[in-house]
This record gives sequence, structure tokens and C-alpha cells, in this order.
Amino acid sequence: MSLMILDKGAVAPLVNALMADYRVVGPQARGPKFVFDTITDPSQLRLDYNTTILPPKKVLQPPEERLATFVRGAKPQVETVIEAQPTVLLGVHTCDLHAIQLLDKAFSQEYPDAHYLQRREQTVIVSLECLEPCDEHSFCKSMGTLTADEGYDLHLTDLGASYAVDVATERGAELLSKYGTAREATAADIKRLNEVLSAKWPRFTYRLDFDAAELPALLSTAYDHPLWDELGERCLACGSCTNVCPTCYCFNVFDEVDMSLAEGERRRRWDSCQLDEFARVAGGENFRKARAARQRHRFMRKGKYLYERFGVLGCVGCGRCIRTCVAGISIVDGFNTIYGSA
Amino acid sequence: MATNEKPKVAFFDFASCEGCQLTVVDALQTHLDLLDAVEIVQFREAMTEKGEDYQIAFVEGSCTRKSDEERLHRIRKQAQIVVALGACAHTGGVNALKNLHPLEDVRRWVYGDKADWYETYPARPIDAVIEVDAFIPGCPIDREEFIRVVKALLLGKKPSIPDYPLCVECKLKENVCLFQVGKFCLGPITRAGCGAICPTYGDGCEGCRGLIPNPNENAMKDVLAEAGLTVEEIMARFTMFNTYPLQEAKR
Amino acid sequence: MTTSIYQPEMARLVNVEQMTALEKLFTVELPGGHSLGHAPGQFVMVSLLGIGEAPISITSSPSRSNGHFELCVRRVGDVTNALHKMEAGEYIGIRGPFGHGFPIEKMRGKDVLFAPGGLGLAPLRSLINQVLDERGLFGRVIILYGAKRPSELLFRDELEEWVARDDVECFITVDRGDDTWEGHVGVITTLFPQVSVNPRNTVAVTCGPPIMYRFVLMELLGKGIPETQIYLSLERRMKCGVGKCGHCQINNLYCCQDGPVFTYAQIKGVEEAL
Repeated sequence: MSLMILDKGAVAPLVNALMADYRVVGPQARGPKFVFDTITDPSQLRLDYNTTILPPKKVLQPPEERLATFVRGAKPQVETVIEAQPTVLLGVHTCDLHAIQLLDKAFSQEYPDAHYLQRREQTVIVSLECLEPCDEHSFCKSMGTLTADEGYDLHLTDLGASYAVDVATERGAELLSKYGTAREATAADIKRLNEVLSAKWPRFTYRLDFDAAELPALLSTAYDHPLWDELGERCLACGSCTNVCPTCYCFNVFDEVDMSLAEGERRRRWDSCQLDEFARVAGGENFRKARAARQRHRFMRKGKYLYERFGVLGCVGCGRCIRTCVAGISIVDGFNTIYGSA
Repeated sequence: MATNEKPKVAFFDFASCEGCQLTVVDALQTHLDLLDAVEIVQFREAMTEKGEDYQIAFVEGSCTRKSDEERLHRIRKQAQIVVALGACAHTGGVNALKNLHPLEDVRRWVYGDKADWYETYPARPIDAVIEVDAFIPGCPIDREEFIRVVKALLLGKKPSIPDYPLCVECKLKENVCLFQVGKFCLGPITRAGCGAICPTYGDGCEGCRGLIPNPNENAMKDVLAEAGLTVEEIMARFTMFNTYPLQEAKR
Repeated sequence: MTTSIYQPEMARLVNVEQMTALEKLFTVELPGGHSLGHAPGQFVMVSLLGIGEAPISITSSPSRSNGHFELCVRRVGDVTNALHKMEAGEYIGIRGPFGHGFPIEKMRGKDVLFAPGGLGLAPLRSLINQVLDERGLFGRVIILYGAKRPSELLFRDELEEWVARDDVECFITVDRGDDTWEGHVGVITTLFPQVSVNPRNTVAVTCGPPIMYRFVLMELLGKGIPETQIYLSLERRMKCGVGKCGHCQINNLYCCQDGPVFTYAQIKGVEEAL
């Protein structure tokens, strides 16, 4: 729509103003790491963060949420609860932006999930261009997520003393004009922006030994690859790789009751295909018992199954699963191993 | 519990520090409605009465003497539901550490020249002696989990405890992984349910809630060795709370 | 109020009937007696508030709906155990029907061979009765049913009726007999030599415990029935029923959406399927 310029000094006042009407969520420090969390003071916002432990999906699909409340007894009643509130999600990197677009597809296809979609509808996304790799684990350049053309309301690029703001939606424009003080970009600003954007690419390296578009075809020949057994030996089945993945959305549903047993809630919580009991039915049969088969499922889902379903790859190259794995399992090394032996 | 009468509940202790019962007492302070839901007829930690008519028995502590077995069988015979309360009853807990040594030596260390006065045998969880319907793991137990188990029993449902590892709870809380700050943790193979309380406060998990089903122990040992622990240090961590199950698994 | 795909409708249990030691038949009525509108082979998510939710196949035929539908349920987990304690007049939550059922339109004009094992009769009964209610539209109807013991045979009245009918070839076997049993003894595959089929014109439908599929499939393929004409109904863990929660995935297939009914051609070589 338009390109605006927001001085860095104007960010804190903008956040402050937003906090009056929105829940504002953005990256902030936690020990030596960063997390997306609710901002209660603009100084908490760290737009210079590298990556976060959990992806911003936690804002759209919380680790745990209420689906319904109910009353038990002779005439049981159940009432849907949608936990959504006006939210501004600040500082989303483009890898995570791509992931959110996949989540949008997953939760809107065929049977739309009102819980996710209403939260999504009420969330204004302000994304942020990455100018440096977050660390040695990310491979966004290989996955084609180093930049994004859509999926945001406002998109920031750091120009040094100011941010260039790509205003992509009406909602974004309103937000900026109502709460912020930005000016229109000049020809000089645009020139500076283009310089910054073209200078960033050489700083990122390709880590996949092949074109990511080949992944689905490559994996379709790799079902019986020896890699899976090797990973199964090393994998602790702790579920961390999927919990930190920005495109994993599997969940478990359970009921909780109060002490009188008269009332309760139906809740859902993130679940993981890496956990031992994920595919076990009540009768006892476990349909994905081996850790090797579970790791294969994860790799296949990221590189093939989700692509077949939604037309986009399930891996955005954020590197979180590699960073979090205490056993040192790397999805990019795994993909390269398969490519190397194909 | 199909009847309208409040189920009668009793608490018992064997070899233990009774800290789990103290946690129950603590839970009663914050969940007063628990006392509306059940009737406690025996609880040495909190009352003097000793009713022998009960349906649910919570048993803390491990069985460390042959003579304890008879008392356990009596409890089993009376109770419709027996719940193992805490690590000692669930896995044998720290009591089973003695099983790594000759029992005669252990007796001498503890009782000196009075050793002959005291009976002992390898410590074991109570389900090695009697059938157990539900487990509340931990050293000590998690009070919220205790409440959840009681509610499940009241609903007539088999109480289920998490079958996934601590890492899940730790990640969902978005804690910084202790391995990433040079510490050690048994979280990847330890049963969740405590809210990853130790890692949340910066201490590595010591496995008090027992191991998850099908733990990858070898990979865990590799990870700990990679992080700088010696074999002795690794075994010390593994055996702290899980001596008995690990020895049984080898049998 | 916002509608959610996770919101169950509260439905009344009209009748509860003990069928075997482990199975009960529940007759369910939706609010106002409105139709479930299911196809044979589909399932519903059954909610017991405070206990949880579980996928249950619909055992009644749409052709006999009468404002009700039926669920044949084995008590095996939390939800089903609690359901077994319920009585007529009480309420359960229902979501659905979900999934792809049996493509009955592709079966018309053909011979249909049903091979249910044990509780696998529950989802197949829906289709069997629909076929019998449109008997003229189908060729031969063959039913080969196996259970572990005589006491575990489901829908005994209907089994007797099917055996008695001239236009149904129904054979029943039990793995182990007892004093009351005068029929065939042996696993389900021992029934297959008793029938010969015209494979090109036969559609086979099977459902049973995982262990059974391999052997039944060998028999069906041995008779020359094409892989595209063999239908299986699979069981998986499900938490949503609508292709979101991920529990029921069989490689890239969602059992709840792409199934639970699959052709053998669809899942052949899919390691996680059988």
C-alpha cells in the first residue's frame, strides 16, 4: 500500500499507545534467550532479538486453552469458549510469518477452527525483516523464507536510525496512523531501503545441498532410508522439536472438573507425534511405536505431507528444532543425508 | 464411586519422610472443598482417630522389611482402591539406593553395633508387594496432581498421570533449557506432571517422578556424557530415584 | 454464540442394551429427533463431559434411522467405561458424523462380500443393513463373520436372520467353541474356502482387529478381488475428528477425514496403515 518511516525513538511511544487498547506481544529477553511475551513496559521489547524459544504461534494457538465450559448432571450443558482478544504481535521474523500462513490454512480448511481463526482475526501482525542470520542453525535462505511478500499488516526493516514500514493492510495503516507518528518515505529512504535489503543476502548462506522445491519428491523415495533407524537410536522422544516448531499444530483434548464434579472445562494442549503414546488407541495398539518411525513422520510431515495438503513446505528453516535438540538431531543435516544418498 | 455417600479415605506410611503426606495436608489448606468430597478416617499426620473402614487408601513409603508386607496386604484387602503416594511408594525412591550395596554393610553403616536388632531387605515400591490402582509420583508429590487424581477417582475414572517427559512441560513454559547453560537434567526421560518445577528454578531434574514408558536410556547417557559428566556421575543421577526400576528392567 | 467444531450436541440415550460381556448397544436421539444424516462407515465423536471424548463408529443403517442412531461400544477406555455405566434417559455429547464412509453407489450392481472380525461388525452392520434394505440393487450378498468365542458374537438376532435368508450367504465362525456352539470353529480365514466369487464383479468390505487384516487381505486378494474393490475401515486415536489434532495420521492420510474407510489400493504399501 505505502511505505512509511518510523524513527526508532518513536517505537516506545507507539508501543505505549498500543498497550492501552491491545494486548501487545513481542520478543523480550529471558536469561540468555528470547521469548514472545506480553509487553507491560515498552523497554521490554527487543526488536534486536535473534530467535525465540517458542515461535509466535503460541499467540495464535496457545500451548493450552479452554475450548468449552460444561455443567454435568442429569441435563448436561456445554458452552463454547473462544479465548481471543485484540492483540498486536510485534517483531515476527519472516520464517515465522511463513509458518503462520501455513497454520492459517490448516485451521481454516474444511472444518474451520473458530478458536484459532478468531484469535487470528483479532491479531495485527507487525513483522520484521531479518538482516543477519540468527545463528548457525537457521537455514531460512534455503527454505525461501528469508523474506515475505504477504501475511503481515505492517513490516519493519531496520534502516539504522529508523524503520521502514511497509504498510500492507488497511488495518495496519489505521494502527500506524492512530497510535504512531510516522512519515511518508522519501526517494532517499526508498534508496536506502533497497540498499539495506540487497546487502543482507550475502550474509546468509544456503545450508540445504539442493533446491527445497525438490524435498517432497526426494522424501517420497526415502521411506525406508537407514537414516530413520539412526535417528531413532539418538532421539530421546522428548517432543521438544515439535513443540518449538512454528508449523506443528497437533493437540490433545482433555476435560477438567471442579471438586464438586458438577462443572468443568474442556481444554486442549499442544501434543507431539514424537511422544510414545501419541498414536495409541484405547484398546492398546500403538500405531507408531518406534522412535525411528516417529522421527520419520516428523521429517515427512515437514518436507512432504504438509506440502501435499497445503501446497507449502512444512519447514520454514527457523532452526528451532535443531537448537532445542539435546541429542543434536538436525533436520537440515537429515535432509542433506537423504539427498546425498539418493 | 457410584454411591452418594462420601468415599472414606485413609493414609498410611511405610519407609518415607512423610513429606508427601505433608503435601496432602498442605493441599487441604488450599482446596478446602476436598473435605466436602471425601471423608478422611485415618491420617496419622493430621488426626488422632484411626478408622479402619475405608474405600481409598493412599500409601506413602516403600516396603523395606518383610514384616511390612503383611500390613500392605491388610490395606489391600480393605481398600477398593490403593494409590501409591510419592516416589518411595511409586519407584522405591531413594530408599532403594541401599539395594546397590550388600545389605549387611548397609545395616552396619546405619545402626552400628545395634545392627542385629533391625530387620531389613531390599527396598521396593509397594506394587512389588500388592496390586496398586493408581500412582502419584514425585518427591514430594505435586499437590495439584494429587487433587486431579482424587477427582478422577471420584468420577470413577482410572487416574492417569502424564506419560510424556518433563521436557514437554518445560518447553511449554518456555524455560531456557539447562543443557544450554551448562547444566544437566534428566527431564528428557522423566515423567512429567510436576510442571518441570526444578528446571523452572534452574535445577536439573533428578528423575523423582520415575521414567517415561520406553525411555531411551542409552541416548540420555550419551547426552550427559557429551555434556561433560563421567560415567560415575551419570549413574549417580540415574540411580537417585530409579534404582529399583532400573534393576528390575535388567532382570 | 459462536459455533465451534468442537461443540457437541447433547443427545439422549433412548435405549441401552447389553450385547456381550464387553459390548453394549446404545440407541441415541439427537435434540428434537433430528437426523444425524450419516452414511454407513462414518463415525461420531462421543463426549462424556468431565470424562472426555472418543470416536465411535455408527452401527445403524441410515435406511433405518427412525430419528435414532445406534452405537455398539466396547468398554475399553475412560469414555467407553463411563458410557457403559449410563442408562436410558441420560445424555451424551455427539459431534459428527465425520469421515468418509463406504461408497455404496460404487457397490450397486455388484456382489458384496463382508468380512468383519469381532467388533469390526459394528461399522459394517450399518452398510450391511443398508444393502439389505436395497437388496434388489445388489448382486450376491456374502457375510463371513468371525469372533473369538460364541459369547462374543454381536447382533445375534440379526445374524440368525441373515443366516436364514435365502438371498444372503452368511457364514459364522468362532476361534474357540463351547458347549452351546454347534457351528463352525476356526479363525475367520477358514470360512473363505466355503465361497467362490466372481472377483471382477465383487466388492469386499472388511473391518476387525489389526492382526486380522493381513490374513483376510491375503484371502481376498487370493480370490482375485481387485485392490480398488477391497474396502477397510481403520481405527485410530482421534481427538478432534476433523483433521486438525494429528493423532490419527497414517503417513500423509488423516484417518478421520480421508478415512476411516480406505480401499486397499489407497493404503497398500503405507507402512503405518495396517
